[in-house]
Amino acid sequence: MKATVIIVNHNGRDLLAESVPAALAAARKAGQHVVSVADDASSDDSVAFLRENFPEVGVLELPKGGFGAACNAAVAEAETESAVILNNDVLVTPDFLQPLLAGLAKPKVFAVGCKFLNPDGSLTDALGNRTSGRWQGGLLHIHHETRPERLAEVCPQLYPNGGGMAFLRDKWLELGGFDPLFRPLYWEDVDIGYRAWGRGWQVLFEPNSTVYHDQGSTMSRLHPPARIELMSAKNAILFAWKNLLEPGMFRRVVAAQGRWAADDVLIGGLPQRTAALWWAFRQLGQACRGRAAERRARVLEDREILELSGGEE
Amino acid sequence: MSRTSRRSALLLTFARRGEEEAIREALTGLRQRLPDADVFAVGTSVSAPTLRTVGIDTIVTYGDGRGIRAVVRDARSRRPAAAAVVYWDPGSAGHLKLEAVALLSGATTTYRFVPGAGSKAVGRLRLACSVAVKCIASIACLTAGAAMCALALVCLRGAEIFSGGRRAHRD
Repeated sequence: MKATVIIVNHNGRDLLAESVPAALAAARKAGQHVVSVADDASSDDSVAFLRENFPEVGVLELPKGGFGAACNAAVAEAETESAVILNNDVLVTPDFLQPLLAGLAKPKVFAVGCKFLNPDGSLTDALGNRTSGRWQGGLLHIHHETRPERLAEVCPQLYPNGGGMAFLRDKWLELGGFDPLFRPLYWEDVDIGYRAWGRGWQVLFEPNSTVYHDQGSTMSRLHPPARIELMSAKNAILFAWKNLLEPGMFRRVVAAQGRWAADDVLIGGLPQRTAALWWAFRQLGQACRGRAAERRARVLEDREILELSGGEE
Repeated sequence: MSRTSRRSALLLTFARRGEEEAIREALTGLRQRLPDADVFAVGTSVSAPTLRTVGIDTIVTYGDGRGIRAVVRDARSRRPAAAAVVYWDPGSAGHLKLEAVALLSGATTTYRFVPGAGSKAVGRLRLACSVAVKCIASIACLTAGAAMCALALVCLRGAEIFSGGRRAHRD
């Protein structure tokens, strides 16, 4: 199976200097796979740097649209059966690609996620490994496994971390790719994983596909922490509004969200949740359309999705 | 020594995990201002261990069957000369509950401790205004939050129902 390895970049010229050679080496080792960079309107010299130093890498220059839009455009351009998305701050190991592609060859599998390690090789607070979820307090709480003994085997997971994931291109296109509802970023990978499970497909965790990720090194450079928190909270709300279809659970979740505003004032500490609710509310129409589409396509209940993907209700 | 022979001071904090340093800072500040006072705090069974860790032995228990009225009655009976509120998150609009207890405890002065930024004394009138503003903001936020979520619930369920299916369908 041929793959296109897509590195998504925005103003990350110095990160590309490390991540592109690593991806090229891995692509060569696994066969004749394609490596390309989807550049999200960088204002630094990322594009010139790539053209000068890595002529074999395809460069897709895109207007500013955020992480999801860049991925969607790059996957649409790809001509291979499968694709791999990598953040520009993810360093792959030489053998990372083959296990991912082997996972994609299994029946019903939509995507396979890498094993994410910190730059020092540790798993402490590492995000994106063997993900699972449960609904609590108005949100889907994501669990990221960090115990090495629980990360030894290929297993189902809720979603593949968008920083390093492989998937089948035809299924990606059928899902419509990353939903622009979640612009500029965060939760688009949770959304696509959840929707894939909802269609009866699977998402796997592959422990033998190791990548190193300096969590948030790009994000903290591009956005202040308060904005990152706000974007993430807004998208967490929209995720629930769009995807949680079981009526009883949905009512409980929305009721919990309705109490946030009062909690923020009464006990303090999380005023960004009220702001996030307002920002989510501004996208209500878009969320309604997404929810209607999801209802039409869904073959599994929410509880089944969480159970099958390794989580709990 | 009997309770009535010494002055007392009330420390109010949520005593969340990680808040110990901020509480110690506030406690030191409070003891500097009222060196002869017995400091007591309001705490739950969850926060009590944290409060004891920082050196507060007298804790008026909230929860486990004791409501806010009992807590306020107990706090008032100790006649605190001052109250101190620890603001863990200086940007937060919250802490209404803590300020309300400080006001109802009868303390004439309340110190607002913001970690790393020292303290500020406020009188009863100003504290009452702060509580009133937070109450109004709370009601406004609650109304806005409830309205947004109610509208979202109706619209989202409506969109789903009008889209066709009500339950997951299998081939």
